[in-house]
Amino acid sequence: MIEFEDVGLRYGHGPEILRDLTFTVEPGSFHFLTGPSGSGKTSLLKLLLLSLKPTRGTVRLFGQDVSGLDQDALLRMRRHIGIVFQEFRLLDHLTTYENVALPLRVLGQPESAYRANVTELLEWVGLGERMDAHPALLSGGEKQRAAIARAVIGRPDILLADEPTGNVDPDLSLRLVTLFAELNKMGTTIILATHELPLLDNFSFPRMLLRDGEIVIHD
Amino acid sequence: MIELRLPQRNRATPIVPERSVAGRTLLLLIAIMTFLSAVTLGGVVLVQKSAVAWSADVGRELTIQVRPMEGQVMESNLRTAVALAQATPGVANARAIPVEESQALIEPWLGAGLDLSALAIPRLVIVELDDPAEVDIAQLTRDLQSVQGASLDTHAAWRQQLNVMAGTIVVSGLLVLALIVVATVLAIIFATRGTMASNREIVDVLHFIGASNSFIAGEFQGRFLSIGFRGGVVGGVAAALFFFVVALTAGSVVPDEASAQLGVLFGRFSLGVDGLLGIAAVVPVIAAITAITSRMTVRRFLSQTS
Repeated sequence: MIEFEDVGLRYGHGPEILRDLTFTVEPGSFHFLTGPSGSGKTSLLKLLLLSLKPTRGTVRLFGQDVSGLDQDALLRMRRHIGIVFQEFRLLDHLTTYENVALPLRVLGQPESAYRANVTELLEWVGLGERMDAHPALLSGGEKQRAAIARAVIGRPDILLADEPTGNVDPDLSLRLVTLFAELNKMGTTIILATHELPLLDNFSFPRMLLRDGEIVIHD
Repeated sequence: MIELRLPQRNRATPIVPERSVAGRTLLLLIAIMTFLSAVTLGGVVLVQKSAVAWSADVGRELTIQVRPMEGQVMESNLRTAVALAQATPGVANARAIPVEESQALIEPWLGAGLDLSALAIPRLVIVELDDPAEVDIAQLTRDLQSVQGASLDTHAAWRQQLNVMAGTIVVSGLLVLALIVVATVLAIIFATRGTMASNREIVDVLHFIGASNSFIAGEFQGRFLSIGFRGGVVGGVAAALFFFVVALTAGSVVPDEASAQLGVLFGRFSLGVDGLLGIAAVVPVIAAITAITSRMTVRRFLSQTS
């Protein structure tokens, strides 16, 4: 599903942020992406999200080399990838329900077509009673669950998460990663970036350890 | 089986919040630009209508001037000139202006109360035309050569002067209109860029969740179209009120007699239905310019950033 071959990335004329990345991610798998701050986790996720292009090497997603894809093809491919950010990135003027429904709304689907799905998903992540609340009124955990719901409402094949537990307490962190694990059981391929190593010990998923832009462990 | 209770949802909140678009300032700016456009257009319409009406009135009339000549009897020459004019095809009527009326015509320059009977003043014959196209001016000019001291004035020079003046005003007005449109477009470009910069987070999120540039541009365009339309309506209504007040003021401030003369010369400061329709047409045009300009600016911004 995801293949990296000798991939390198640099910003402008600066040094290489990512070097010689070669790995494969199978469909339906769950990988932790870990490493110290500044090791390149977010840059690697941006490559996976197709918001950056590698400066060298080959990235293949869903069997296609992404370097030759035009804007429209990249957009179509991006719709198969969900993303969750550490800082949630919910739109403050929309309700929880509207934030979660946004990916379907931008596809032009009528509200009547997705209302049941969005409501069901909000119930599933425990926000059934908060769907009319605006993000400013949600706790950190609620915001992150809303962000996760938004990322998966379009049934993406790949779900990326960039430090999704960075703004919540350890208890909630565990519950959130468990939520990701539940989604993985339903078939979604998940790459979750975190630098909280103790959290990983609760799960047996393989880890990719990035250090100075290189993968040093991929078990 | 669990039955989900689906709440009745209100109309979806706009993805681009209204407050985040430089709303009030832009609305005011578009209202002012629309007002200026509509007033310029209305002024052009007024001048054009007055010039056409005046030119048509003057074109339906000729003047024969009979100067006093030694050894000639004025009344006899006047009768001959009237007869020659009436015999010309296309002439509806010809009449000599009585001596009292002629004296009254020069009274404003010489002052009232003078005895003008001793002055040998030229006399005029007013020739009203039935059909200006049918009248053979050259033939009438030749016929009048038999009347000593008679000359024909077709007012062609006046009409030409008037047309040149009216044309200059119309072209100047259209130029001003074009400049207003350019200024409006530039203002909208700056406002759109500012809006895009302040809504960068929304644009990024929309990109991440798979929104196309076309969709994002459409969302912003909807906001700008709304502002453009509302600003246009405010400016258009203000311009219509302006012309209404000017027409009322001109009628009440200027004395009746002078008002009548002004009316003959410059029209009645009344736009009429076509002028009002012109102002009404400015509103959707400004709204469309706003929407198209903002869409193009947003598309350019998105293609640079994505």
